[in-house]
Amino acid sequence: MSFPEYTHEKSREWFSRASKVIPAGVYGHLGPAEGLFIPVEKWPLFSEKAEGTYFWDVDGNRYIDYMCAYGPNILGYNDPDVDAAVAAQMKLGNCTTSPSKIMVECAEMLVDTVDSADWCFFAKNGNDTTQTAVVTARAYTHRKKVIFFKGYYHGVSPWQAKKDYGGVLEEEVMYNIILPWDDIPALEKTVAENKNEIAAIIAQPYDHGNFHDNVVMTNEFWAKVRKICDDNGIQLIIDDVRAGFRLDLAGSDHYFGFKADMICFCKALANGYNMSALMGREHLKNTISGLSITGSYWMSAVPFAACIATINKLKEINAPQLFDTLGTKLINGLIVAGKENGFNLVASGKPALFYLRVANDNSLFLHQEWVAECVSRGIFFTSHHNHFINAALTDEDINHTIEVAEDAFRAVKKNHPELG
Amino acid sequence: MTDNKTMAYINMFAVLGTLEDLCELDGKAKELLKGTKPISTGFDVKDGPQATIRFANGKCTVTEGCSDCDIKLPFSNVDKFNGMINGTVKPFPSKGFTKISFLLKTFTALTDRLEEVMRPTPEALKDPEFFNLSTTLTFYTITSAISQLGNHDPISTFSASNIDDGDIMMSIKDGPKANIRAKNHKLTTIKNCEDAPRAIMEFGSMQLASDLFNGKVNALACIGEGTIRMKGMASMLDNLNRILDRVALYLA
Repeated sequence: MSFPEYTHEKSREWFSRASKVIPAGVYGHLGPAEGLFIPVEKWPLFSEKAEGTYFWDVDGNRYIDYMCAYGPNILGYNDPDVDAAVAAQMKLGNCTTSPSKIMVECAEMLVDTVDSADWCFFAKNGNDTTQTAVVTARAYTHRKKVIFFKGYYHGVSPWQAKKDYGGVLEEEVMYNIILPWDDIPALEKTVAENKNEIAAIIAQPYDHGNFHDNVVMTNEFWAKVRKICDDNGIQLIIDDVRAGFRLDLAGSDHYFGFKADMICFCKALANGYNMSALMGREHLKNTISGLSITGSYWMSAVPFAACIATINKLKEINAPQLFDTLGTKLINGLIVAGKENGFNLVASGKPALFYLRVANDNSLFLHQEWVAECVSRGIFFTSHHNHFINAALTDEDINHTIEVAEDAFRAVKKNHPELG
Repeated sequence: MTDNKTMAYINMFAVLGTLEDLCELDGKAKELLKGTKPISTGFDVKDGPQATIRFANGKCTVTEGCSDCDIKLPFSNVDKFNGMINGTVKPFPSKGFTKISFLLKTFTALTDRLEEVMRPTPEALKDPEFFNLSTTLTFYTITSAISQLGNHDPISTFSASNIDDGDIMMSIKDGPKANIRAKNHKLTTIKNCEDAPRAIMEFGSMQLASDLFNGKVNALACIGEGTIRMKGMASMLDNLNRILDRVALYLA
């Protein structure tokens, strides 16, 4: 079956307008540069509306969205239960001088949900939580150094960057130590060489970094990391901004069988309503209480209502199991579609956050071509980042995705007679 | 902040290195070289770069090392060499005194011509032929500078340490191209290379490239508009772009 390609005239017009008043037109990960829209003509640049697992661009093209706004869409866009809770809270109030009591209810619900956590500190973006976690660890330990694992991304503050990033001072990253993933001897050696100097290890629950096949860590790895932290007074921070609530509603540390000292959540917390949460263990509560960290909108009530509705619904539907089932079905179908057309499609990471790569060449040229052919036929993938499953995705959507993917493989093959 | 040693490598292999292209592409430079007997000048910078610039049969080549040259110019440190490029230091040869007239006449005329092309007046750029020459040579200087930064600049060596082995092709549509080759995190620029790259960055036109080099347009907006094309190993391009950002610091 073949599918017609979309066109994006209105997207181009809006981008032209945007470029005049917004740096880069669309900056950051949603934009064509960082989002690697290759070639840009195949991609939508602005959306008109969204519903369930779909969004429609300004040209009226519909996409099955496997990026889920890069994570926040976990139940489906415009989920009726979440939106009803939001509407009810909106009538009561949102950004008020005294925070709404719903903040307390939200914190209680999250503390009851996340296995390792005894408290909950609210903010807006994932970056706020990783930043606060590291400051808390430094304040608690009175130490400077922080260990990261290679390929890390924990936000965009200068300390989270690397020394070759524009506007970042070497001094701001001089206490960062970068180690390879899954190398316990290297970690032990580094900790021994920096005795009583390391405040924290900050890491995602597994290597779901961009530009490379994702690598899932073992429970044994995390048990060893936990022990090294315990033996050396190092705070273990899990950045669960991306994977949070997609692997395990009790936290990705729970999924891998250990307890973090602090765990950072954002994307999936409130189905697109803007909030994040740093959660942690009792011994850190006094320390974080005394820090001067806050924000204008951090205690707004509406996202808390959305969060309660979201987490409750995720529990009702056993979302992690659902995501694993849907993701596995999709991945298997895509791999077969590739194989039948002579392409070696490699899927890595957990099915709920699958990462794809066409491995026929070592340049990603074919992979980027295939992704572009999928996008221009209504399947929104990316070529460099893990994808996300949401609960509104159906078997019918998956079957359609696989049919389109097969057509996209055929289109790439046609453009490359050398592939045989 | 720039590093003087890195600047010396850029001056040697990216700035003086562009003499190769000037002599190949510019009629005036060819005229200056007419009748010149084969001659080579070695630049020996203590704790810095060494290179030999050879002129033979109307062509110029720049190679690493200076053990075999007709004229040798020693520099006691990188600052002295950079000073020569800036015109604040006059070098004295340690070898080739009888051939010094080449340096004073032909070589100086060539470097003056290079400066004229690389730092053009707005009026001169109105001539399409000169505009193309200036943009092409600027492209070669920038692509050569990328490798020097990646190998010597304290910040850019970090970027290079994150680049996988392979070629990144930079090109201007219907214009010059160069591959930046990474091997064990050391970079080499190969002009007009035909080897298959793992990543590509193409500027859509000479005008766009010129506007980018002069900071008149935003590179990210150009990607959105499709006037800069990138494909392939995004991580290689990402790290290359971090080096490219610093090139302007040195070549400004």
